[in-house]
Amino acid sequence: MPPLRRDTCQRLGKTVLHNASRLARLVLCAALLASVSHTVCAFTVTIAPTAPKTVYLQVGVGGFTGNYNAGGTPGNNATVNKDSVTVAAAAVGNGTPQAMTTDSTVGASSYDGFAFCNVPAQLYIGGFYRTTTVGGGSVNVTATVPAALVDAAGDTLSFARISWTTGGNGPTGSTPTQPFPAGTFTAGAVQTVGAIAQNQWAESCWTFSYSNTTIPAAGTYTGRVLYTLTAP
Amino acid sequence: MRPFPLLLLMTLVVVIPADARTTVVDDSGTLPYNAPLLLHWQQLSPRRPVNNRMTGTLTLRVKLNVAPWLRRPGRIYLVLPAQQPGAMNASWSTQGRLLAGRVSSGTRSLVYSGLITTPFIEDVLQLTLEVDGTQMRQLYHVNFRFEMDED
Repeated sequence: MPPLRRDTCQRLGKTVLHNASRLARLVLCAALLASVSHTVCAFTVTIAPTAPKTVYLQVGVGGFTGNYNAGGTPGNNATVNKDSVTVAAAAVGNGTPQAMTTDSTVGASSYDGFAFCNVPAQLYIGGFYRTTTVGGGSVNVTATVPAALVDAAGDTLSFARISWTTGGNGPTGSTPTQPFPAGTFTAGAVQTVGAIAQNQWAESCWTFSYSNTTIPAAGTYTGRVLYTLTAP
Repeated sequence: MRPFPLLLLMTLVVVIPADARTTVVDDSGTLPYNAPLLLHWQQLSPRRPVNNRMTGTLTLRVKLNVAPWLRRPGRIYLVLPAQQPGAMNASWSTQGRLLAGRVSSGTRSLVYSGLITTPFIEDVLQLTLEVDGTQMRQLYHVNFRFEMDED
């Protein structure tokens, strides 16, 4: 006899024996069992969630085939998008922030195809977090930020000079509580840049800008930020 | 005896017909008897309206020992008792000896009605279980049983 079947049978017996002091319930139980015999036990199915947690994060170009609301499926995409700006020589260091643009062509939401972001001015960021537990939990998206952007000659420019605003087209784009709010890079740190509530889809559009408050050596400065979605 | 249980007992006696007889059928020949079932999200991504159901299907070779009712008419039901992890639905297809059907927690569904002509009734069921994924915190042992109603 399988262990679970044996246990199930014993549980019925224990209930009766250990509740001897509760005479009324015993009588009631006996009345119920009079018409339903429990001399045999029945089969059991042991259920377990095989993939209880699923995460998807897209910054710029993503790996989604189709749209979420049309049965699309998430996948991987190794593309690394670039946000950049070329500062005119006459404007270098004048304190006027310089808007950056992205090489990402993704303006449509992967959720429903809605034209949520305006490319190339805005960078799309979106994703979801799937879990089996009840509650209002969320997971954070972090950015691993190098200390500086570097040019070919080894000159550096602090990542802290790059900031972003947030938004999006349509009614959800104008809400002040974007899942991925505005911010400024913290040079050489891992910083939280947004949160995704469990079992919900989250998306925002970021517009980056360079603060342009210093006069660095002429050159092309590059650096890579890594965005990570981590679920417990 | 306290007044409340006595009152309840009297009510039940009225509800259950005197000639009704329900017996749990010995299905210990069913394989697998304690079957593992991995559940998957019905909807991988949480698009609106969010569907948090999880589902899984397994094959069961059901063998019911109905020898005690041989050459007598009877009705056999598949029962899904109310249990953890909460509201569930089960549906199944068969190869024809038993009836296909669907049952939700706390209810039962007819799988056979008629004369019992053999000591055993066997069939292969494709059983699909559907559970609210937000209730899944651990492994759960979901109990089923077959019941025979005699006239």
